[in-house]
Amino acid sequence: MRYATSRSIEVLPTPVQGVVNTIIDWIPLGIVVLVWELVSGGIVATDVLPAPATVGAEIVELFVSGEVFSHLFISLFRVGVGLGLSILVGVLLGVGMARSDPVENFFDIFLSMTYPIPKTALVPLAILWLGVGTKTAILIVFLACLLPIVLNAYNAAENVDQNLVWAAQMMGTDERSILYKIVFPATIPEIMTGVRQAVPIAFIALVSAELIASNAGMGYLILTSGQIGNYPTMFANIVIISAVAFVAVRAFEEARGRLLVWT
Amino acid sequence: MDGRVTISGLEKVYGQGAERTKAIEDLNFEVDGGEFVSVVGPSGCGKSTLLYLIAGFLDATEGTISVDGDPINGPGTDRGVVFQDYALFPWRTVYENVTYGLEEDGVPKDERQNIAQKYIDMVDLDGFEDKYPKELSGGMKQRVGIARTLAYEPKILLMDEPFGALDQPLRESLQDQLLDIWSDLGKTALFITHDVEEAVYLSERVLIMTRHPGTKKTVAEIDLDRSGSREEIVTSDDFAHFKNDVWKSLHEETQTEVTL
Amino acid sequence: MDVTADANRGLDLSRFVEIGKSVYSLVILLVLWEVVGQLGLIHYYFLPPLSDILIRFAELTLSGEMLFNAYLTLQRALIGLAIASVLGVIVGVLSARNDIVDWFFDPIIKIGYPVPIISLIPVFMLWFGIGDISKIIMVAVGTFWPVAVNARESTRQVETNLIWSAQMMGTSDRRLLWRVVMPAALPGILTGFQIAMPLSLIITFVFEMVAGGGGLGALEIQGVRSFESAQVYAAIIAIMLIGIGLDRILRFARGRLLHWT
Repeated sequence: MRYATSRSIEVLPTPVQGVVNTIIDWIPLGIVVLVWELVSGGIVATDVLPAPATVGAEIVELFVSGEVFSHLFISLFRVGVGLGLSILVGVLLGVGMARSDPVENFFDIFLSMTYPIPKTALVPLAILWLGVGTKTAILIVFLACLLPIVLNAYNAAENVDQNLVWAAQMMGTDERSILYKIVFPATIPEIMTGVRQAVPIAFIALVSAELIASNAGMGYLILTSGQIGNYPTMFANIVIISAVAFVAVRAFEEARGRLLVWT
Repeated sequence: MDGRVTISGLEKVYGQGAERTKAIEDLNFEVDGGEFVSVVGPSGCGKSTLLYLIAGFLDATEGTISVDGDPINGPGTDRGVVFQDYALFPWRTVYENVTYGLEEDGVPKDERQNIAQKYIDMVDLDGFEDKYPKELSGGMKQRVGIARTLAYEPKILLMDEPFGALDQPLRESLQDQLLDIWSDLGKTALFITHDVEEAVYLSERVLIMTRHPGTKKTVAEIDLDRSGSREEIVTSDDFAHFKNDVWKSLHEETQTEVTL
Repeated sequence: MDVTADANRGLDLSRFVEIGKSVYSLVILLVLWEVVGQLGLIHYYFLPPLSDILIRFAELTLSGEMLFNAYLTLQRALIGLAIASVLGVIVGVLSARNDIVDWFFDPIIKIGYPVPIISLIPVFMLWFGIGDISKIIMVAVGTFWPVAVNARESTRQVETNLIWSAQMMGTSDRRLLWRVVMPAALPGILTGFQIAMPLSLIITFVFEMVAGGGGLGALEIQGVRSFESAQVYAAIIAIMLIGIGLDRILRFARGRLLHWT
């Protein structure tokens, strides 16, 4: 027997509700930090799990000393370029395959074969070709993000409402214009969904590449600080890159909302 | 074996504060054991809510609903529901769907088989026992829904616009099948519909609800001679008379609705 | 001229054309690969001819090295995945059905999501070392999230009408979970597995490449370090075969379990 659950905050005035909601959203993080605080130094030694305060101080230190900036920028650059390229190529490829049979026939086999390979497994190969560094990282991010975007673009282009195309044709639009006046705009929402899925993948690919094949970047920082036993720094960097990944997803969703005002 | 439903002072309120909305207000109504009653009303009047309250899926805010004098307390095997979207278990075959209630009741396997087969035959689905819902048409799925609900023999049948999603010829055929089954089994039946003709064709009484918040507007007695064929009944003067009465009453409630 | 014989021949030919159309680009690539390699147009270090790679693959297989490393990788990935699957489904389903469990696990699920799990490899190396156990635990932790989230969402989305139907037919709350909720949520839960599986391989490979300890990832990176390019490619082929194999198995299992969809 369940009665309608009451939202007691609704007795509060609306602006205050907004603030209270935000606070409620962040409670999970608060709980995790609390548990972390209790465990560190208590159940587990502080060198194995530094206290939140220690890590927090280290984060501030990293930013103040500027130590983290160069690595952060490099990581963001790699993610940005890799993701950007994968969107460009992915959309062209996906839409091209959906609208043209010969194109589909040519590329289909490659996509089917590469789909089950985790792209990070190609890091050593990338090292072979491009050495250690930014080019490798960009390549891995690019490859990892490519497939989800191609698939989404392909599905989106396949499922364009035929009525839209017919409406355009009846009003005198030629084939080429149909592609960029009708097909592309109609597919943008679904493509954005593909990009949204690709963002976390991009970060995983980035860190993978940086752990194995880099002398710079956040992944490299995490690895090396761990190797020299500087654990607060290691954890601090993990928190930083996680926060960045989180913000990236949020920022993207915000941008998507602004861009797609018509959905 | 009565199946008398007594609704007294029923109220249903949703939400809190600014979003508080009253779906049903001070409803009093009684359905006799074995009676076939339809409920009609404008959109949003709370007909489905009423059904779910009687079924026990929702709790009343005020008032009581009793079956044969005992107030209800949640869902129970004395009240069976036939849903508009069939609600069949997709991972179970037709046969397994129909026997579900019997399994819950602990009926032994042989008896389950007999009972299930009886009701599958009653809805003209023999031969389809091993099919999965995905392989069935809408009309067939609805028949499975009916057979499933009948199989464990609840006292009361509650039907939520069961034929709403089907086309006219199919709907008519199922209405006749339903009437046959009902007169065979003699269960109390409460039937929600927005189709006035359907309500008049099937029921002995029609409860007409007011628009939101819904309450009893009036109850029409349908004293129809159903001994003839469908065509005879539907083209008779009596039928037209009852239909008009119900329609007019309903129309008054929908007066203020915006039309295109 | 026997008409049926002609018709049969026509049928065979069209099938070959069909298959040919879809693989011709791959065939061209493979041929080009071999030719370019043999002619030395690209330096051997970057791209050995296909034949050399296949020979190296055969060598590794015959010596048992390939199978042994594949076994190590699979063992780590699959055991970790199995642990995560069981825990993830339990937590996910219970979170959806029980408010208390949900209140407890929701922060964990929310926080875990944005963290790029790979970045925790150095942490796991610190906590559990660089052996098998460490890798298994890492895979389990990493794949827990997609499984739990999918299990929770698909349980939440079970149609209310199905639950009501079961209740009206006398199903107690306890039986409801097993008799109705789990089967109805199964498609979504399996989707969680499909997402988790490649992730389990990724985590295993990267961990092996960073920390060593055998496995296909380690084999591959070793090829780079010892300038044995053919070995790198051979390891990739093995990885590809495993990936395809596991994917097929999962799809087959899905088809069987969900034969009613």
